[in-house]
Amino acid sequence: MNGWDLGVDVLLALGVAGELLCVAGVLVMRTTYDRLHYAAAATSVPGFLVLAAVLVRAHFSAGGLDAIAAVALLFLLNPALVIATARAARRIEEPEAEL
Amino acid sequence: MNAFLVAATVLIAALAPLLVAASVRRPIDGLVALETAGAVTVLALVCLSVGLGQSILFTVAVIAAVASWIGGLVLARFFGRWT
Repeated sequence: MNGWDLGVDVLLALGVAGELLCVAGVLVMRTTYDRLHYAAAATSVPGFLVLAAVLVRAHFSAGGLDAIAAVALLFLLNPALVIATARAARRIEEPEAEL
Repeated sequence: MNAFLVAATVLIAALAPLLVAASVRRPIDGLVALETAGAVTVLALVCLSVGLGQSILFTVAVIAAVASWIGGLVLARFFGRWT
């Protein structure tokens, strides 16, 4: 195992651990907003750690560029989804609230 | 079995509790679990693609990212208006 393999393993382990932490947060937290916080986090740091591991292995090939597109889409689109979900949750819990 | 396949296996296993939560909790909490499941699925597909050496799965991951976002957005609008 050379240094690059070790780097890939470390990045992957960190990314998967972060993702599992976010999943645990979604499962354990009590309120919808707390769960949303963890759901949003699942598309940020862990995704980029996995992407870094992929780029170390696949470099900037067509597959690497597709991986960049997938993680970038997750990262850039997810905030709109989180906001829409939070607004829906607020509307359900406080029907009279102005949104 | 390389590191990417192990990572993909762990991520796919993490989908199970999310799908259980999505089916037993309130609809809006289920939606949050479903959104998380979408992100986990995309990363699992990326890892599978590298692990199996199948570059077509990268494209599937991109499509999954967009499809899960659209689905989540539609459900969020639906729950906000009609529940």
